[in-house]
Amino acid sequence: MNNQHKRLAVLIDLRKCIGCNACSLACKSENDVPLGVWRSWVKRVEKGHYPHPGEFFLPILCNNCENPICVTVCPVNAGIKRPDGIVYIDPHRCIGCRYCMASCPYGVRYINPRKKIAEKCYWCHHRVDAGLEPACVEACPTDAILFGDLNDPESKISKAVAENAVQVIKPESGTEPYTFYIGLDIESVEAKQAEENGK
Amino acid sequence: MSGIHPPDPPFSETTERLRRAVDTQVLYNIFHQEAFGFNIAMYFYLTGLSAGSFILSTLAYGFGMNQYKAIGRVGIVLATLLLVIAPFFLLIHIGMPHRAWHLFVYLNMSSPITWGSFLLVLYPINCIIYGYFMFKENMKLTRIFGFIGIPLAISVHGYTGFILAFGKARALWNTALMPILFLASAIVSGIALMILVVWIKDRFFSRSKKIDLELLTNLGKLLAWMIVFDLFLVGSDLLVLVISHSDAQAAAHLILGGRFSIMFLLIENLLGKIIPFILLVVPRFRTLTTMIIASILVVVGIFFMRYVVVAAGEFIPLL
Repeated sequence: MNNQHKRLAVLIDLRKCIGCNACSLACKSENDVPLGVWRSWVKRVEKGHYPHPGEFFLPILCNNCENPICVTVCPVNAGIKRPDGIVYIDPHRCIGCRYCMASCPYGVRYINPRKKIAEKCYWCHHRVDAGLEPACVEACPTDAILFGDLNDPESKISKAVAENAVQVIKPESGTEPYTFYIGLDIESVEAKQAEENGK
Repeated sequence: MSGIHPPDPPFSETTERLRRAVDTQVLYNIFHQEAFGFNIAMYFYLTGLSAGSFILSTLAYGFGMNQYKAIGRVGIVLATLLLVIAPFFLLIHIGMPHRAWHLFVYLNMSSPITWGSFLLVLYPINCIIYGYFMFKENMKLTRIFGFIGIPLAISVHGYTGFILAFGKARALWNTALMPILFLASAIVSGIALMILVVWIKDRFFSRSKKIDLELLTNLGKLLAWMIVFDLFLVGSDLLVLVISHSDAQAAAHLILGGRFSIMFLLIENLLGKIIPFILLVVPRFRTLTTMIIASILVVVGIFFMRYVVVAAGEFIPLL
């Protein structure tokens, strides 16, 4: 393993998630995300019927992939992958062509309705660079979200990823996502059932 | 929630996931706006018409097929005009049109849009030079710029196929057939538009008001066989989608039985391809009127093809 660089990652323990949306809210206020669009949100899925129902939460944020298709297809090099793995968008360079939105397998990008450029979660790199954790990690009341350096074997997240069965969303897309989940339910990543919750 | 059983989603069953262990309902999710849309479909349509018209105009002036000489000039004027209009739909589409110059400065060679920004400059320039020499009756230079223009015309429309094919999250787009599918439909729509324009030109604007029926018949035959090729490509694409992984099956069901089925099956394929093909090849139907009707149907049908590919491709949400 290459230890020269950090490889930042997020691990979400869905067994601990209570679906309180504190992460979504913290993200909104930290990053000044306009109304109607979200950098991170909690998808909520209900399975089965009374008396044996199950309810599952899936906090969704950018996977900051190792092999990000959004960076590959950006025509103006506005998508940039940092050595520590964070993928961000240069707001001064983006022309708002939405090709990244069309190609992202996770649908985490949106057009900022005021600035008309593409935006997404970048694990609060302004906070990370200042030695803090991303806003969602800090806000989570149950410590379901872990953030850290996977290249450091002593970090909390490295140990947790090693000790648990982890999963990523859509591993088949070849983007090598770095947002890991413990206890990911197959139904909550299935997307076909659209529209009922509408736009 | 009103009852014990969750209400059936209004979304048609065909695009739900195909295998389901237990009843599942998504209670909350976020969907962001669609990435592409009408403007991009329109842009694809216009570049397709332009590339098709250009290739037709080289039949006489590049390859020396003299029976098509009359459409050489019409073709190049159409190709140039359509390609001057097309990029405006891109400028409407992008959020920051005043930053469009970034496309020529901050290059990313792995992005089809970067390829396209250069093709969209080179191709119209070549069209104008080619057209200039054609109207100056300089056959040698016309031929040279015609041959330079053919790969450019193929690229300027083929790259749009790569734009969609690189969208690997969308099963309907992510196929290597996409560029050739786009080119086939470009030529189909180009021939149909040419028939219409030649007819309008002869009927209303020529001094003799005499319609060149032989030319139109030749174009009609060409159109019929290009429609067959296009149908073959659409069919192959569909067959593989239906058999392939679950996302692809959902995409196939969306256009075969879901929200886009009327546009795809009825307008694009029945009205836009099969009926024009019958009108064009069955000798009993082959008159000038049916040829014009067939061409109108094709021109409209190919627009729906562009729209269905773009809109149905991104209709199914990703998570």
